[in-house]
Amino acid sequence: VSAPGVEPTGFEALEALEREARAAIEAAEQPQALVEVRARFLGRKGSVSALLREIGSLGADERARAGALANAARERIEACVEQRRAVLAGRARERALESQRVDPTLPGLRPPRGHLHPVTRIEREMVAFFGSLGFAVEEGPEVETDWNNFGALNFPADHPARDAHDTFLVQGGHVLRTHTSPVQIRAMTGRRPPFRFIAPGRVYRHDSDATHYPMFHQIEGFVVDEHTSFAELKGVLIAFARHLMGPDVRLRFRAHYFPFTEPSAEFDFAWGDGWLEWGGCGMIHPRVLENCGIDPGRWQGFAFGMGIDRTALQRFGLPDIRLMFDGDVRVLEQL
Amino acid sequence: MRVPLGWLAEWVDLPDSSEALVERLTLAGLEIDNVARSGPELGAFVVGRVAACERHPNADRLSVCRVDVGGEELDIVCGAPNVAAGQKVAVARVGTTLPDGTRIQKAKLRGVSSSGMICSARELGLSGEHEGILVLPEAAAPGVPLDQVLPGAEPVLEIEITPNRGDWASLLGVAREVRANFGGELRLPPGQPREDARRADADVDIQIEDRAGCHRYVGRVVRGVRVDASPEWLRRRLESAGLRSINNVVDVTNLVLLELGQPLHAFDLAALRGGRVRVRSARPGEVLRTLDGAERRLEAGDLVIADAERAIALAGVMGGAETEVRDGTTDLLIESAHFHSSRVRRTARRLGLQTEASYRFERGVDRDGIARAADRAALLLAEVAGGAVSAGAVVALGDPPAVVESVRLEPARVNRLLGTALSDAEIEALLRRADLEPRREADGTLTCRVPSWRNDVERPEDLIEEIARLYGYERIPSALPRGELCPVTLPRTRLLAERARDSLVASGLDETMTFPSVRRQDLDRLGLALDDPRRRVVRLENPLVDDEAQLWPLVVPSLLRVIAHNRARQVDEVRVFAVAHVFRARDAGELPDEPLLATAAIARGPLAELWPARRTVPLFFELKGIAERLLEDLGVEAHLAPGAAEPWLHPGAANEIRVGALRVGSLGEVHPEVAERYEIRDPCGVLEVDLSALARAPGRTPRYREVSRQPRLRRDLAVVLEREQPAADVLEAIRKTAGGLLVASELFDRYEGPGVPEGRVSLAFRLDFQRADRTLEDAEVNRVMDRLVQMLAQRFGGERRQAAPAGGEA
Repeated sequence: VSAPGVEPTGFEALEALEREARAAIEAAEQPQALVEVRARFLGRKGSVSALLREIGSLGADERARAGALANAARERIEACVEQRRAVLAGRARERALESQRVDPTLPGLRPPRGHLHPVTRIEREMVAFFGSLGFAVEEGPEVETDWNNFGALNFPADHPARDAHDTFLVQGGHVLRTHTSPVQIRAMTGRRPPFRFIAPGRVYRHDSDATHYPMFHQIEGFVVDEHTSFAELKGVLIAFARHLMGPDVRLRFRAHYFPFTEPSAEFDFAWGDGWLEWGGCGMIHPRVLENCGIDPGRWQGFAFGMGIDRTALQRFGLPDIRLMFDGDVRVLEQL
Repeated sequence: MRVPLGWLAEWVDLPDSSEALVERLTLAGLEIDNVARSGPELGAFVVGRVAACERHPNADRLSVCRVDVGGEELDIVCGAPNVAAGQKVAVARVGTTLPDGTRIQKAKLRGVSSSGMICSARELGLSGEHEGILVLPEAAAPGVPLDQVLPGAEPVLEIEITPNRGDWASLLGVAREVRANFGGELRLPPGQPREDARRADADVDIQIEDRAGCHRYVGRVVRGVRVDASPEWLRRRLESAGLRSINNVVDVTNLVLLELGQPLHAFDLAALRGGRVRVRSARPGEVLRTLDGAERRLEAGDLVIADAERAIALAGVMGGAETEVRDGTTDLLIESAHFHSSRVRRTARRLGLQTEASYRFERGVDRDGIARAADRAALLLAEVAGGAVSAGAVVALGDPPAVVESVRLEPARVNRLLGTALSDAEIEALLRRADLEPRREADGTLTCRVPSWRNDVERPEDLIEEIARLYGYERIPSALPRGELCPVTLPRTRLLAERARDSLVASGLDETMTFPSVRRQDLDRLGLALDDPRRRVVRLENPLVDDEAQLWPLVVPSLLRVIAHNRARQVDEVRVFAVAHVFRARDAGELPDEPLLATAAIARGPLAELWPARRTVPLFFELKGIAERLLEDLGVEAHLAPGAAEPWLHPGAANEIRVGALRVGSLGEVHPEVAERYEIRDPCGVLEVDLSALARAPGRTPRYREVSRQPRLRRDLAVVLEREQPAADVLEAIRKTAGGLLVASELFDRYEGPGVPEGRVSLAFRLDFQRADRTLEDAEVNRVMDRLVQMLAQRFGGERRQAAPAGGEA
């Protein structure tokens, strides 16, 4: 567009310059090139400035008009640079994103994670449940005296009741404890009822096959108070079974014999078409209370014990108990 | 104990459903493991009627029969001489398998085809006799399965008997229990033999010398018997109960044992020297050849039966070979006695001889049933072996057994112990069902007479158990305990054990559990010094495996074995731990010390192709990081000091763990020679922390310190030092020298290589300075930095390195 009254060559030159600038801007492929293009046209020593300096030689009126035209052209070029800068920035972002692309089908990098032994997991669940009912944890040694493991628990010497306990004998007349019940003796001796204890721990029997490992784990629980009853024993074990195996679990109590409880029972849970033996329980035998210095005329209590390993076996579907104890991490890491 | 149901039904009324019987007895404590079947399965055979019977055209001794098996007629060739038209017979059709395993097929016998078999009693598995085919009663209808006509297989209860109830180890005992649970009548077999004029004491003189060992001894003499195979009914009865038939005399003694639970023994009276029986303690060195042929060396305390000259039987365990009943024996002495249970048990256990007799004596026999069993045996012997029973029993008495004859019970105590609300009348009724004969006293208590066969009933609780059993445990209500709460405590070692497990699992280790033993070589393999206190190993007297007799004094060998086990199975990285008590012997008679150790072991195979490429940290530092995290999680103020405190650790890559001056553990790479002894060829390291020792050390609870709002100034300081200079000392000196302005400091780079002179190393520390009250000036920090550089030069010969440390960040 040529304005009337202005020397056409000057305006034409401006137009040509603007065209040239636009072309150069569009041709700039890198931000740095764009900076250079901008400097070439719009910088203090750039072409537009040079043109404006030439305008200085014109008359006042024309100078004003020409200046306005030149400034307008400068602004348009500036806008064009901005536009181009945005385009280039967008492209750069695209390229960056492209270069940061990963193969999202590759597997994740997992932080190292270890595994608690299945027995520990079940034991913790059990201890936590009884803790909620106010049972304190009590412990005892794994090598025990014959008295604590048998005698104080009312196993007569030379009695077939001992046959059920295939016992590891330890030099010096001691035994590897065959059950957690000796903890009853240790915990009750010198204490005044009422009390409730839970005693998880390792026990040992001289036996090894698919369902028996010579070392296994039991949890023992016992309560002594003035009115502790068999009904309360049932109540605790039923609540416990529901906690561990769900509200629909069925529990059954069978009469049984243990020297340290009277009456005694074994308890089973329903499993498939039948019953799985879970543990033993009963009312603490008065002679056991006497052996611990507790007056059986005033105090009575219940005790129960069960295998933790069997529970773990059933929970995790292990076919052979020995799988849990040979340290094969391919097994342990599944559970 | 195997109890055939049919036999039991002769003694007591059974409920209609055997499932109900099994369930009820199991709940009452007579645990029934299994209901087996005994005897031949006859259901596959059918009754046939011989419609026609003709001589075989080509064989004199064969017949060709046309047999009606109910809607079908079969042609069967039969070889028995007694087959005849009109008979009802047992037929095995084509496809039936006989008890001996033979499968009946279509066959041609001398040109005549035969589609089945007419069976003899032996072919059916019913008896050993083979005198032709079995002829069935006329009433049997053709086509009916044979098991509806003949007694064949019957269910047998396999009962597990608890050691307190010796009385249950008999038909009589089980029948009593059935009656207690279901009611009905008990039917006892006849017991009184017809006696001869000749008196038994004319032939034998019996005396108890060891009066504590034998409470009562009853001898019966039966003369003129014929030792022979047992009749069919006796043989089958014993076999159905799981005993082998031997001869009619021995079988009778075993039958009575099964019926009444009283072990009996039959002596050949003629082999008894001097006509004398003495119950005495064995003489030291005395030898007896028992029925099984073994020579038994006896010890004082073993109770024996002796004649005038020698021991002839191990009382309550097994008879002797020399007075054994054999073919040709004519006169018998039947022994029925009550031996002391512990004495029988000790001898049986020492000799490893558990017999039907010792089993019952150990559990106790009916003290008033001794004579009855002898009588019953005499009666049966006269019946099956044709003898004459001499008049009278010869009875000798020892010390009476300790018995509780009656027990008093407060009825209120029953409900208090069980949590039930039984009435006095219900309680009495339940006691009566258990034969405990309650009698109400003026004060309201019940006095119960304990039957002679119940040696387990001594106190009121025993009566309460009987009440609960017969009432049914399932009918006892259930309730949660009520009562005073008591403070819950947790042993500190347990707390530490749980924290250790959580920490090690969080560090990526797997928990293992193994039997707590070490092998004989283990302590040498670890290089444990001969005077190391852990050499005082606790030993098992009866290990399962010879080389597992030593309880572990430390867990390291087990974990090294776990490492080797897993590496051998191509597990690349093995990171395992165990939290377990170990055993260390103390003085004789004392229980061992059982410290609780947390032990961890890690090993790496070649990790070349892991995704994504893992930055490999030297194994030692990985292990040390695990240890540092563990100690932090345990909440103890422990520090790690350089040095291999344990012989199994690498002397140049190990730390000991200390709390104050107390050594509580160690960590480090495993000494290559030790690793080699465990066949581990990859780098591996072991960490051990004594949690019991830590439990005695003071705990540390983190305390809040004010978080400053003022900016921190961070400076990096790289210093070139002698290569052997331990970094921890340098850092410690920096902390001390810098004073209170230094709020955080860490080593972030260690560099050797180009730019650092040979034999020297560049350590780079990141130091954060801060003031709580105001912004810190550059100049203040610069002064501290100058002091540090000066100190490092003076104390460590260190030289500040200006260039950005290699490997460090910009």
